[in-house]
Amino acid sequence: MKIDPLLDRLRRRALAPFLTDSIAARLFWLSAGWLVLALVATAFLLTELYSHALDTSLSQTLDFYGETLISHLLDTGDPTSDQVFIADPRFQRSASGWYWDITDGTGQVVNLSSSLTGSLLPAITTPFDSDGHRTAALTDEFGVRIRMVERQVTVRGKPFHIAVTGSLDEIFRLAGDFRGQTFTVLGAVGVMLAIMSFIVARIALRPIGKLSVAIEKVREGEASTVEGNFPPELAPLAEEVNELLRSNTQIIERARNQVGNLAHGLKTPLAVLRNEAAGSRTRLGEVVLSETTKMTQLVAGYLDKARISARTAVVGRKADPTIVMLRLSRVMQKLNPNREVVFARPDASLPWFRGEEGDLEEMAGNLLDNACKWSAGKVTVSMMAERTEATTQLLIRIEDDGPGLTTQEADKVLQRGVRLDEKTPGSGLGLDIVKELVDVYGGTLQLKRSNLGGLLAELRLPSARLGRN
Amino acid sequence: MRVLVVEDDTNLNRQIKEALTEGGYAVDVAFDGEEGHFLGDTEPYDAVVLDIGLPQMDGLSVLEEWRRAAKTMPVLLLTARDRWSDKVQGIDAGADDYLAKPFHMEELLARIRALVRRAAGHASNEITAGPVRLDVKAGKVTVDGQSVKLTSHELRLLSYLMHHKGKVVSRTELTEHLYDQDFDRDSNTIEVFVGRLRKKLPEDCIQTVRGLGYQILED
Repeated sequence: MKIDPLLDRLRRRALAPFLTDSIAARLFWLSAGWLVLALVATAFLLTELYSHALDTSLSQTLDFYGETLISHLLDTGDPTSDQVFIADPRFQRSASGWYWDITDGTGQVVNLSSSLTGSLLPAITTPFDSDGHRTAALTDEFGVRIRMVERQVTVRGKPFHIAVTGSLDEIFRLAGDFRGQTFTVLGAVGVMLAIMSFIVARIALRPIGKLSVAIEKVREGEASTVEGNFPPELAPLAEEVNELLRSNTQIIERARNQVGNLAHGLKTPLAVLRNEAAGSRTRLGEVVLSETTKMTQLVAGYLDKARISARTAVVGRKADPTIVMLRLSRVMQKLNPNREVVFARPDASLPWFRGEEGDLEEMAGNLLDNACKWSAGKVTVSMMAERTEATTQLLIRIEDDGPGLTTQEADKVLQRGVRLDEKTPGSGLGLDIVKELVDVYGGTLQLKRSNLGGLLAELRLPSARLGRN
Repeated sequence: MRVLVVEDDTNLNRQIKEALTEGGYAVDVAFDGEEGHFLGDTEPYDAVVLDIGLPQMDGLSVLEEWRRAAKTMPVLLLTARDRWSDKVQGIDAGADDYLAKPFHMEELLARIRALVRRAAGHASNEITAGPVRLDVKAGKVTVDGQSVKLTSHELRLLSYLMHHKGKVVSRTELTEHLYDQDFDRDSNTIEVFVGRLRKKLPEDCIQTVRGLGYQILED
């Protein structure tokens, strides 16, 4: 009982493509339809040919028996003689369909087979041909269908008609049996061919499934182009899809560049307006100042958004975190010469970051910047691999000896757009972009208390296997 | 202290110049990369504000040229592009600090002060020489805790000597670093200002090194 629904589901899943308006269904039903038609026609044709052959053979047998009777008649010269007979025992059983009789010129029966005793043969209405021969399929008095062959002969000047019949029912029975066998065999062949065409349809359509999987990968961001070998019918389609993707990417790239140029271009005039307004104590100055502040935030916000939404195809990208962190530490050390930026260089077995190098720079750079901003003198950076059963994550720890954050403050900071200290310069978006990027990569950011006394930022990011793209 | 501002936006250039002048700096300006490069190459500056996006020659190239020619003055890069890769690029080209547009003018002043201070080897905003204490940020001078009123020229002169305390500073060097290039340089004025400063400060604060220049002694 339990297995039934399972089987049912399996069957439905396997057959589903063949119950819908799919290409597989069309291929299958079309070929299966033609197959059934052809097989049925073949069966009928074969049966017809077979029964025709049997009928022909019966006619020949009857001809032979007719000849036998004629030769007996010629031998004896007496049509009523006992010497005129056919040895075949079927002519002795009544209602067997096997009969013969000899009629004279007046139509009087002068001799007949014992099977015909007490009854009469039906008459053929068609005329004799030039050889004095005619034949027809008829039904006797017992309802048996018979083939009758009638000959016209003249013996010693007297005309006689010699008619011999054989049972057609036997032939029909044989033909019926044959038809049955033919249908059985061809039916089996048909089922096999249907299974074949089912399989063929599936195999033939497999590349389509492969193509759709490849396209899905592109959509999911796991691949940048449709990859794989496709048959000549599908290869142009795959190529077209790739072309479309390429031109799409170009259009997006161009649009994004324009947005970027616009946003960056706005920054200088915004700076000018803001500085000018900051110097003036008028109402106009105040309005310009507050509005330009909003515009600045908008510009920065949309630039970040554009940056994040640009992350559509990060597949296959990886970056060496050691190089990135070395570079950032060097830059931060130069920018903050009165701080000590200590980078604990990890060993070479550290996994790489799976993603864009620029994004890693953005995340780690902003955290490092914050650490330097708040630190009293020392900032340390360390990295390690964090292995769980399922995955290996890259853990970047950035800590400082500054004031740090309480748990509540840390929670607040991790919310969007929140800044704790409005006086410390910065747009307040530094941590926002970190949070957004961490989300994009499915990583985590935790803010804790450092052993140095200040803040410890723990950034966990997906890792790439070493030496693999 | 003499600062070069290289910025192609005329308004922003003017604003920065005004702010820096108000902050007690002698300011030269350039509006394109080539002009900026030439000035930085030939004049002695204590700091440079350099925009990255410049006509003729971009800021990074200007900076690289200077560093190649062993010009070591601190450079603050101004840029609209604030990605970390841009910052790394700027710092690697030889910049000492980096400021993204739009910025607060106080921020720019603070960065320039810090750069000048760092270049002279001072860690804090306050420089002391004996009883004389200079608050670089506020532009205030005290002697034994008593506030001393100085004119902007006097302050500039004292500030330069304090930044380079322990070093003998020639009159030419003072002239070069205290006035912008358009100023009519007459070395007598330096002597006049030194004389006025000496009256307001303890007698032995500024020493004359005969034939060489002036010096504020290390503590």
